[in-house]
Amino acid sequence: MAADNRYEEEEVRTDDGSPITKPRPIVRLGIFLVAHSPVFSVVFSAAGVLALLLLPLLAKNTYISENALMPGSARSMLSNRDASDGSKLVKDIKNFRLNHEGQGVEVQRLIGKYMSEMVAEVYYQKFQPEGNQFHPLHFFSGPASYTLLRNVSCASYGVNVVGIIRAPRGDGKESIVLVTPYDFINGGDYEDLSLGVVSSLFSLLSRVTWLSKDIIWLVADSRYGDYRPVAAWLAEYHTPSFKVSDQLKCDELNTADNFRRAGTVAAALVLKVDGRSERFEDILSIYADASNGQMPNLDLINVVNYLAVHRQGFHVKVEKVVSLLSSSWLKIVGEIFEAVGKVAHTLNPDWKFGIPAAEYIEGSATLASSLYSQAFGIPTGPHGAFRDYQVDAITLKISPGFPPDSKARQHDFFLRGSQLLEGTIRSVNNLLEKFHQSFFLYLLTSPSKFISVGVYMIAFALLVASLPMVAASLYVDGCKALTKSTHNSAENFKSWKWLDAAKQVFALHLLGFIVTLLPYFICQVPGQHSPRNRSIMWGTTSSLLLVTFVTIPGCSPFSSRLHGTNWAILKSVTISAAFIGLCLMSIINFATAEIGALLLVPTCLLAQPIKPALRSRRVKSLLGAFCSMVLVTIGFPVIFFAITKGLVGEGLVGLSLGGEFWTWLESLWAWKSATYLYIGMVHLPCWLLCVCILFHPS
Amino acid sequence: MGFVIKPNINSSSFHLSGRSFFIRRRQKKKKKKTRRGEMAEDQKKKSCRFWIWALSSVVFRLILISFPGNLNLSSRPEVSTPLTSIRRLAEGYWLKQASMSPYAGSMYHGSPLLLSVLGPLTVQRIKGQPSHLLCSLVFVIADILSAMLLRGIGKKLQMAYGLNARLLGLLKSSRDKGILPCGDIAALVYLWNPFTIVSCVGLSTSPIENLAVILALFGAVTRRVPLAAFGLVIATHLSLYPATLTIPIVIILGYGLDAPPIKLFLQTRSVENEESSTPTVSKQPKLKQTTRLPFLWKTVAHFLFWVLLWSLCVLVLCAFSLNKYGGLDEMFKRTYGFILSIEDLSPNIGVFWYFFAEVFDFFRNFFLIVFHVNILFMLLPLAIRLKHRPCFLAFIYLAISSILKSYPSVGDSSLYLSLWALFVNELVDMKFSFFLFCGYLGISLLSPVMHNLWIWRGTGNANFYFGNAIGYACFQIVFVVESVSAMLNHDRALKRCINTNHGEVKN
Repeated sequence: MAADNRYEEEEVRTDDGSPITKPRPIVRLGIFLVAHSPVFSVVFSAAGVLALLLLPLLAKNTYISENALMPGSARSMLSNRDASDGSKLVKDIKNFRLNHEGQGVEVQRLIGKYMSEMVAEVYYQKFQPEGNQFHPLHFFSGPASYTLLRNVSCASYGVNVVGIIRAPRGDGKESIVLVTPYDFINGGDYEDLSLGVVSSLFSLLSRVTWLSKDIIWLVADSRYGDYRPVAAWLAEYHTPSFKVSDQLKCDELNTADNFRRAGTVAAALVLKVDGRSERFEDILSIYADASNGQMPNLDLINVVNYLAVHRQGFHVKVEKVVSLLSSSWLKIVGEIFEAVGKVAHTLNPDWKFGIPAAEYIEGSATLASSLYSQAFGIPTGPHGAFRDYQVDAITLKISPGFPPDSKARQHDFFLRGSQLLEGTIRSVNNLLEKFHQSFFLYLLTSPSKFISVGVYMIAFALLVASLPMVAASLYVDGCKALTKSTHNSAENFKSWKWLDAAKQVFALHLLGFIVTLLPYFICQVPGQHSPRNRSIMWGTTSSLLLVTFVTIPGCSPFSSRLHGTNWAILKSVTISAAFIGLCLMSIINFATAEIGALLLVPTCLLAQPIKPALRSRRVKSLLGAFCSMVLVTIGFPVIFFAITKGLVGEGLVGLSLGGEFWTWLESLWAWKSATYLYIGMVHLPCWLLCVCILFHPS
Repeated sequence: MGFVIKPNINSSSFHLSGRSFFIRRRQKKKKKKTRRGEMAEDQKKKSCRFWIWALSSVVFRLILISFPGNLNLSSRPEVSTPLTSIRRLAEGYWLKQASMSPYAGSMYHGSPLLLSVLGPLTVQRIKGQPSHLLCSLVFVIADILSAMLLRGIGKKLQMAYGLNARLLGLLKSSRDKGILPCGDIAALVYLWNPFTIVSCVGLSTSPIENLAVILALFGAVTRRVPLAAFGLVIATHLSLYPATLTIPIVIILGYGLDAPPIKLFLQTRSVENEESSTPTVSKQPKLKQTTRLPFLWKTVAHFLFWVLLWSLCVLVLCAFSLNKYGGLDEMFKRTYGFILSIEDLSPNIGVFWYFFAEVFDFFRNFFLIVFHVNILFMLLPLAIRLKHRPCFLAFIYLAISSILKSYPSVGDSSLYLSLWALFVNELVDMKFSFFLFCGYLGISLLSPVMHNLWIWRGTGNANFYFGNAIGYACFQIVFVVESVSAMLNHDRALKRCINTNHGEVKN
């Protein structure tokens, strides 16, 4: 009996110990959220979209964060003499072109001569234009770890001219780069102007005493695009190759052994002058997006913007989506926000978040463009090449407000343009460390307004917050259902029911991975193929693979009837995979993740088997099934691509769509865009899984 | 038959399926005899499948090895630490070849024995093959051996599990159909774990360290005392932290394999005694009516003697190989000293580098002590609580040391994850398994991204990578805590189950 008592006592103790304990508040909060997940997921998703729309309102004015920059505090030393130096160069080049048609490297020599007259060290660099190559996984590796030495042909190559001014106060360990892309064969009148501006500045910089960083002027041969020559020069600058290239023998211009360097690049400015602006004043456009949504430090843009607006009187703008400016729904949203802002202001004068509707529309259009170009992951100019080497760089594109032959205004233009560059260089020259004070992760809503990462992440976080909640609640439901249905089966592991579903999800992600890598092999197929044919090849092989995967038992979601897998668990695992993928992508490239979340989150949340919905014939469930069908249709990358093209105004149908899509993807991987990886390895598998859930035989 | 579990138990509120296993098995037992032949076939099929999977994992490794240049795994901080990097080993070997101390220049910090074994292989090249091919092959072989040893451990544990269940009267048949083949599972988890594959292909020496640890456990489980001592000494020599395994190995040798708490057996026994009509089911030696098991002092002494002998051997060999370069003194300073004083602050997936990069110099010694004592503090309480499950205790020790190590790598995680798989039978009810799986997956994908953001893009900073490391540590802690609580719950469930049985028997 005594023993019995002891057992009873122990029994009581264990009962107290394990199962019935009051959970902690945070656990209870979690349980509450999971239990009411449908409501919360709708609320959170709506809040996410609303927060995205609110972003232009939340934009802050830019400010110079690094004290050492001190833009505009020094008087410009640029004189008329320097500007006339620039004019002279432009005139000489023009005359030269008139006399010699389509010469090889004579223009380069002429520029080189000018540079050496300004006491600069001059050298020429040859480079090969490179075709598109498929580097799917090189996003993770550092720059230039994959330079391939290919056989060189003398038929096509470019020659860059580089001049270096050594800083009288520097130790040659730091430098600032100025780039002027210039087409030596058929450069227009406006392109000459960019040379004029920089040579005016160069002539000044060769005399000044305050320089502490060497100045490199790179005249990039833009015959094969703006980006390629700059990238080639940077690759040579940072990773010297010690093999003698065949290129050197190609021409009389000897470029061997004279490549010079000038230390770490602190910042780079790319100057382009193109077509006349529609307005009378000169317009300065700033381009900053590098590959994969990387931006230069905000301080650099601030300095340029400050000097251009407050000192030189340029009209500064950044890119915007023009079609949004006239959209009526955006106007309505803007007016609503304005009204709300006014009401709030009357309630409490300290609340100042309302902005005029016009400003809101402007901000939204700029923001949309900013998001778009970041999501694309393709640099908007030659400055993108610098970002691969952690150098902050921007492109300044000036559209002068005068015809190219007006001499008087040209002189003034040179003066102002080179004063702007001088001021910027002076600020950067003051820096003791590399840019680090201000933001790297931001979106611009105007040249002087930005949204920092802390703000724009909220929109994304709200959007994806519903995913883990719904996944958890579905998991709990699925486990319950499974326990009920299979309580006699030998595979009744309470905690491991997700393994089957995880296997299927993994199989489809593997498929996505293979499909992502397929273009590499398709590119290897011998013979010339049009993009259309290639995309057809890709499509057929992918579908064949899909069919093979589906027939493998155990890993295809369609055969789940045999295993008795519950669709709720499959959906839960799918949502978790989508959540992980989106969160990862948000760190790599926020804009892609945001747009991807806008597509993927509703698709994943609404995906439900349509069979029961059709059977029940209730309006609500039919509507739900219809919505999920529509979302799944839109979510397919090709269709989404076609829709966006249609919105832009290019209608595409049938096979031409395939060709266009292939070309688009080709551009993505040519620029090592992580967006491509995202589409192939996160979006596509999750979309397929949603389709599986839709047609689940439950 | 006193221990027949009546079907109505099924409806009573048992939460844990570890229990319901036994019940299910009993229900199926009626048909079992007719199925004997099928089962043998089934067994054969299963082992065939195991070999196919094991072989395919080896093939997968060989494929990955054939293009290591593109993968560039050996330079990842997650894979190779200052202690396990093969590059450093090659450097040490070169230094030694040039008649210099291999520890000169703070490049190499591993064992001099490893240097003599692996060093020549780093130099040997087969024409047309990627460099370090031979080393990679050694690591693949080490992985295979580890998997086989794990399988051996698992078989023993599985037998012990079945035996204990039968002793407790929860399992009647001599054939353990419902028991998962934990050895096969553990071996496959080890072979197919991405962490193992990455550290094998990424040329870190952790496969060899893992092999030594598993060897020690295998020796203990199969009661091959010299082997256990050898494994333990080598593992400790290679990476110091496995020294903590002395406690579990001594318990295994002294008390025997993992079993439910001794009280449960006594309980069963007492009930059996009360019902004298009950025929004795087991042919096992009768348990004494004490709450203590006999401790096999002799075996343990034997073990300690072998430990001494092997350590003497290792030390003599080391002294011999470092004869001209400062001897053992230098070795201890450069290997154990390096581990304990955390000299290398390059980023890894642990939490120490960041902290010691930030800490003021005059606090450094204090915090060094605090951080290292963390591991030691946990040894004793865990040993007391889990003394009836020494193998599980070894798993917990390894997991904890992999969290609190000074230079952790994913190879350590792969070791404890596969050891964890040895206890699938007990841990079927582990909570948060899906959450943990997602966490491990997310963290291991996030880690290279954060590193890229910090090192290559320059838009992130050290906090990004360190945040990831903290997240990783948190998930590991949750994993350990959940494993322990699942194991304790399993014991509780067993007890409850037995109590109910007895209650019914009496009625």
